[in-house]
Amino acid sequence: MTRTPYPTGDDLLVLHALRCVGSAGPARLSEATGLPGPDVESVLIDLAVAGLTTYSPGDFGGWGLTEAGRAADAERISRELDAAGARTAVTEAYEDFLVLNPELLDLCTAWQLRPAGGVLVPNDHTDPAYDSRVLDGFTDLHRRADVLCADLSAVLLRFRRYRVRLAGALARAGSGAGEYVTDDMESYHIVWFQLHEDLLATLGIPRH
Amino acid sequence: MPTTWIHPLSAETEEGADVLGGKGHGLVVLRRLGLPVPPGFVIGTGACRAFLRDGRLPDGLGAELAAAVRDLEAATRRRFGGPGRPLAVSVRSGGSVSMPGMMNTLLNVGLTAEAAAGLAAETGDARFALDARLRSLSGFASAVAGVAPEQLDAVVREAAGRAPGGGRRHLAGAIRSVEALIRARAAGPVPGDATRQLELAVGAVFSSWDTPRARTYRELHGIPHDLGTAVTVQAMVFGNRDERSGTGVVFSRDPTTGENVPFGDVLFGRQGEDVVSGRWATRPPAELAGREPAVWAGLVEALDRVEGHYRDACQVEFTFEAGELWLLQVRPGGLSGRAAVRVAVDLADEGLIGRREALLRVSPRQLRQARTPRTETTGTRDLLARGLGACPGVATGRVATTADGAVRMAAGGPVILVRPHTSPLDMHGLAASAGIVTSCGGPASHAAVVARAMGRPAVVGAADLTVDAAAGCVRVGGRTIPEGTLVTVDGTGGEVLAGRPRIVTAPVGPHLDRLLGWADEISGGGPDRGDEERLTAARAVLLNRGGAPPDGRDGHR
Repeated sequence: MTRTPYPTGDDLLVLHALRCVGSAGPARLSEATGLPGPDVESVLIDLAVAGLTTYSPGDFGGWGLTEAGRAADAERISRELDAAGARTAVTEAYEDFLVLNPELLDLCTAWQLRPAGGVLVPNDHTDPAYDSRVLDGFTDLHRRADVLCADLSAVLLRFRRYRVRLAGALARAGSGAGEYVTDDMESYHIVWFQLHEDLLATLGIPRH
Repeated sequence: MPTTWIHPLSAETEEGADVLGGKGHGLVVLRRLGLPVPPGFVIGTGACRAFLRDGRLPDGLGAELAAAVRDLEAATRRRFGGPGRPLAVSVRSGGSVSMPGMMNTLLNVGLTAEAAAGLAAETGDARFALDARLRSLSGFASAVAGVAPEQLDAVVREAAGRAPGGGRRHLAGAIRSVEALIRARAAGPVPGDATRQLELAVGAVFSSWDTPRARTYRELHGIPHDLGTAVTVQAMVFGNRDERSGTGVVFSRDPTTGENVPFGDVLFGRQGEDVVSGRWATRPPAELAGREPAVWAGLVEALDRVEGHYRDACQVEFTFEAGELWLLQVRPGGLSGRAAVRVAVDLADEGLIGRREALLRVSPRQLRQARTPRTETTGTRDLLARGLGACPGVATGRVATTADGAVRMAAGGPVILVRPHTSPLDMHGLAASAGIVTSCGGPASHAAVVARAMGRPAVVGAADLTVDAAAGCVRVGGRTIPEGTLVTVDGTGGEVLAGRPRIVTAPVGPHLDRLLGWADEISGGGPDRGDEERLTAARAVLLNRGGAPPDGRDGHR
């Protein structure tokens, strides 16, 4: 059976991206939602007028959710899940995600620390052969993660962004930009963490 | 027919760690030393290789398993799967090279519903029997049905919500939920027949050799893919049986300082995995001397014998059931740099090793570790909490309360990860952190082991701290410390301090002075060089003479 994936409206898309990303500026939210920056900004202002988002200035500032915004997101994202008839599919994808998650964490650890003489030492990235073995691991994991994200995108269109962002991070890491493994704000690890947060928020599961 | 696949856990078994795995071989060594080991047998790595090649258990293994189980029934005077006094077994993985946390282990295999009823009748403790049955099913859910721990926890928590109080109704509900989960996720339910359960468990352990995680681990650690794992099957001993039962991990010497006193964790009334999880407040093992003097005496004697055998500091995992001691694993080594120096010198003084071997036992890396700084203990200091020093050294950084938070914050400077306890799922956060603090757990907890492996200053069991990850803060006394606050961890003194106190470099200990003196005698050099240079020169002379490096010994990780 094929059906059209359920599209999310722009305002919920931005609201929910803030929920999964945490405090962020329009550029990062544009990356997370796939909406153009000015559209994101316009939605953010509407949401702020409704009391759902708030802006804090300063170096570490940015847009964030208010308590009311968090509650509104939880309620609306859950309603969307049922409207899309996607609860079963997302629950199954989350269970599969939990199996892949330890692998991702192993690989991130291997990127940061490497075995030497029976102990782990910080990986100084001077051994291309080792780093490429770790990246091979990421490529292998990504093949399975992409299938999972494709299943999710088939019911809820907004999950398509994770396919694009994870593939993008991996491609950049593979072409020498090592910070796209764990360090950059659009790194594989950070996008993966947001996917984890998204699945929990969508299904209404508290962390721990 | 001669045995080909299975080897008894007995003093006469001659196979090495390549066949029995490091764990199985260590248990055979313990038997040779006359120490108490639960009866059992090892399915050798050859059976795993055959299983991986053919996709099924090899011909003849079924018959050997049946015979080995009959021997186990005779040795324990119990029946596998009941009725009457039921026999349940542990089924543990263990290859010749350690791959911690990568492969499956199942407990209470053979504890069918009928056997659990038998266990309840035998012990007169229905709650204990239900708990044992739940642990058994949880093992199958995880190893056979591939259920993630988070999901298993959620299902058990939900059942607890329906029948709160942790009593028999709660356990019975949790058992039904886990059974339903297994039916939904696996091809069928857990068999009601003990022998089929055992075959399923052995197959699950063999299969776990080839999971993507295990393959990646081997790729990164340069371990060949064709070694396979052995499977150790032993009669269960229950640390959660009654108030005269418990479990623990004990080092023959303090793994942080090297001092010659038994050191570690004991948990009364609990099973082995509870010690390592760090979720429970453990007690120092010497507390056994008052509560279970026979267990304590047996343990001290065992530590003495294993040290004599391995000629090194060792750690031992143990369980005691109704006042009777059982050893479950032995491993030499596992010391921090400072401890490695002291133990090498002490062992030479005790005549267990020669001075040359002492020099070969300490690596230049350990020597660097041994010169760890400490916080100044005089003057004004803002002490937040005390715990156990799990890995020496001082680290200052900003507080993070989740592993993911630590990774994100690490981009902006050093981070101190503060958690109730840690698990393998927190490895990325531990790796990103300059120092580690946990509020629960002892020196053998996951956080402590990882911290030592990575040389990160760590304090565990800082019980006055409450971590509120949801609110993003740590509470201690009446104070709230938000994420991002600057704190300092002193892993030698076991202290967590506010801000950035002054740091002093540790004075050179007499043990290090003596070791380096021996090094100069070997190399012919003088003491006017750096420590590392002095040690490395002596080691070069010794290794050129063909002195065996100490790393090739059995069971070394």
